[in-house]
Amino acid sequence: MTPTTDEATKRFTWKSASVDTNRGDAYYEALYASCEARLQAVRTQKAVNRLDLMEVLDDHGIDRRDFMKWASATTAALMLPSMFTPLVAEAAMLMNRAPVIWLELQDCAGNSEALLRSDGPKIDELVLDLISLEFHETLQAASGHQAEKQLEEAIEHFKGRYLLFVEGSIPMGMGGQYGTIGASGETFHDHLVRVAKDAAAIVAVGSCATFGGVAAASPNPTGAVGVMEVVKGKPIINIPACPANPANMVGVVLHYLMTGQVPELDNLLRPKFAFGYRIHDNCERRAHFDAGEFVEEWGDTGAQNNFCLYKMGCKGPMTYNNCSIVRYNEAVNWPIGVGRGCIGCSEPDFWDKYAFERPVADANIKAPGGGVEKSVDEFGLGMLTAAGIGIAVHAAASALAGKKEEAGANV
Amino acid sequence: MKNQSYKQVKRMTPAMRIIHWVNALCMIGAVATGLYIGHPYYATFIADGAVDKYVMAWNRYGHFIIAIIFDVTSILIAYLYFFSRFEKPYKKLIPNAQNLREFGAVVVNLITLNRVKKFDSAHVDSFNSVYFTLFHLLLVWMLFTGLQLYVHSFTAGTSSIGGWWPAFLHIATDWTIWASGGTIMDVRLSHHASMWWILAWILFHVYYQVWRTIFWKEGDIGIVISGTKFVKEDALS
Ligand code: SF4
Repeated sequence: MTPTTDEATKRFTWKSASVDTNRGDAYYEALYASCEARLQAVRTQKAVNRLDLMEVLDDHGIDRRDFMKWASATTAALMLPSMFTPLVAEAAMLMNRAPVIWLELQDCAGNSEALLRSDGPKIDELVLDLISLEFHETLQAASGHQAEKQLEEAIEHFKGRYLLFVEGSIPMGMGGQYGTIGASGETFHDHLVRVAKDAAAIVAVGSCATFGGVAAASPNPTGAVGVMEVVKGKPIINIPACPANPANMVGVVLHYLMTGQVPELDNLLRPKFAFGYRIHDNCERRAHFDAGEFVEEWGDTGAQNNFCLYKMGCKGPMTYNNCSIVRYNEAVNWPIGVGRGCIGCSEPDFWDKYAFERPVADANIKAPGGGVEKSVDEFGLGMLTAAGIGIAVHAAASALAGKKEEAGANV
Repeated sequence: MKNQSYKQVKRMTPAMRIIHWVNALCMIGAVATGLYIGHPYYATFIADGAVDKYVMAWNRYGHFIIAIIFDVTSILIAYLYFFSRFEKPYKKLIPNAQNLREFGAVVVNLITLNRVKKFDSAHVDSFNSVYFTLFHLLLVWMLFTGLQLYVHSFTAGTSSIGGWWPAFLHIATDWTIWASGGTIMDVRLSHHASMWWILAWILFHVYYQVWRTIFWKEGDIGIVISGTKFVKEDALS
């Protein structure tokens, strides 16, 4: 696929290069005032469900102290000074004023899974429980015409106010016929465009909805693309990763609820508060990387000593995400923590270009235009051998038939 | 057979020769450290804790220092291409009739195994000029892609010498992401693959200079050491 100009600008990373975590008192005071005013307005809105966060937390044995600890950690994660903690806590409690429509397109439902995480949910997940899921294709009881009607009502009722979460890629091949939904057989593409029209903002969750993900891996039979290739003229927030971290979903919704704006984004439309970090720079195994201590084989002495996983294919050095900081499941663990390398799941084309269990230098890559898969070194050695053979032939021919210039009479 | 007399001609200034050998040494260092960075090919057999040894870090450090030396020599070479007081290589690159003819004549000389030689070998020829330029272009590509890979180690856009440095590097090198295929990984692959093109370039370069020395009998291999070669008097007249 040749990149369009629009796409080309997305490739430029310089905008992502600076994460400004200290904008000065005046900036934060103004922001605080505007957030406070906004939350006041949100509070007067009718709650779309009767869930009360404190009760929900209580039911799960989480006390207020834990909740406040979570609020201050989330404030820090959003790159806000600590004075915002009470606002974040309040925004969390007002989550049931945030109408959300959730579309599920071509994917594995892994992000819905991450959102629900019904087995031992933590505060992030519980806060997400609170949002008013007006429509969720996978979860709702309604189906067929009934579901269709429900969606129309939700769009109508919350026109211009709802956040549209999209999970899964959009198959563009065969006129979009690879994925259709509803009684009318609407294609995923038309479905998305229709629902996106009246959304306040669109949050693409997971690698499929952001960059096409696994579905878009070579040879991409369905012509899968991410939301930003399809929807134009709407604020889009990408939360890639496979699955997207619920902590980052909460962060985006909280930020929206508090400020009414989308958070600062990088060149790939990922919120900087979550994707402004490189995994490698916050990895607990980094000292072993610099020392040249690598796991050479699964289960070897290096693995037992938590050595760096670079030679097992870790792509932390090229991947932007905050999993090395916030981890998963309330910071219990994360891929590199359990002893396997990062596969770069929050980067575009990750399945084709990152997810090898070996360094990229040894990974088999497709020749441009498809064809035989070779590693760069195999390709390089082949080229060098060809050059060597050419030279040997020329040298032999020269020795046999070449003409040496007259070297002078004395020879 | 009459006595053949030779005349010594100057071909490389001391500065050019120094740059040549600095480049050659840097190339060996860059390949050795670069291959380690891409795939650490030796293990650290030091029983000390990780805090006491920096094998990957030293390799990266060496690679970056070499890159800086390359940066400097590249700027010098680019300058000399246009403003050298000795021979301005750019003059041999302009595709005018004379240069094209000379380029063709040198190729013919190479493929006829020196049976036909219809050009003046006292000066740098068009063929070699183009071939050397190819190398400099490969090196420039290496510098831009390398700096793009490097800039990602400045988390959050800061560096020990301030934010301007990563910002500058981003502005100067972000286009390589687009040019090599769309992701940082493509830049990495391209950087690695270009090394093999450079090695192939070196292979032919060394062979060709040795071949010239053997078949032309003008002492071409000495140019890069003494700065001079010898041409037959009658050829000059
Ligand atoms: S395990 Fe991966 S992210 Fe961690 S230091 Fe090694 S290469 Fe970097």
